[in-house]
Amino acid sequence: MTVILPLLFLLTAVSGTAVVLVRDPTRQIFAIAINGLVLTILFDALQAPDVALSELAVGSAAVPLLFLVALMAVRTQAPGEES
Amino acid sequence: MSVLPYAVAAWLFGVGLYGIATSRNFIHLVGCLGVCQSATYVLLLGLGYRWGSIAPIFYDHPPGTPAVDPVMQALVLTDIVVGATLTALLLVLTVQAYKRGGSLDPEKLRPMRAGGKSGQRQDAGHTSGRVSEGGRKAS
Repeated sequence: MTVILPLLFLLTAVSGTAVVLVRDPTRQIFAIAINGLVLTILFDALQAPDVALSELAVGSAAVPLLFLVALMAVRTQAPGEES
Repeated sequence: MSVLPYAVAAWLFGVGLYGIATSRNFIHLVGCLGVCQSATYVLLLGLGYRWGSIAPIFYDHPPGTPAVDPVMQALVLTDIVVGATLTALLLVLTVQAYKRGGSLDPEKLRPMRAGGKSGQRQDAGHTSGRVSEGGRKAS
């Protein structure tokens, strides 16, 4: 327990940095989902299972889906065109 | 264990700010804002995680066993929901900005005008993006 918690904190820092450094939005979606998963494990290790559940639902499922929908809307829409 | 959550939260916030400042795509920018928000989750939960102290609510809990602050967890729960709605709102704004401006680059975003000047009217984005792109390059 004393080893796994600092390790998870460092993993959170690394995955957050990966979200920022991945410049392509299509690949950034995967980084965001992995970041949500790492945050979920960290919150579970910090004895916050309710927060971990909501982070699992929001951070690694809902938010990447929102990004996917936004990317598809941007791609299928020619610029300056009314829907 | 005492300094590490604060350091990780500060690092996440700083790296998210760096991403926002250097981003060239609005969708990438919204993702960096999510990293900034995860810094607050880590900070609040790291504040609430205490080892060996008396628990704040059930104070007859024997010390030495792990206990957490439920107030912080409720705060983080609210924070996550607020973050999801903020992300959705910003992505909708991004799509609308792309419809009107024709670009996802924050550097190419023009200031909003009510009617525009003569001939360069951008009313509801009826002019095609290529024309406005060419006009921007020419000017």
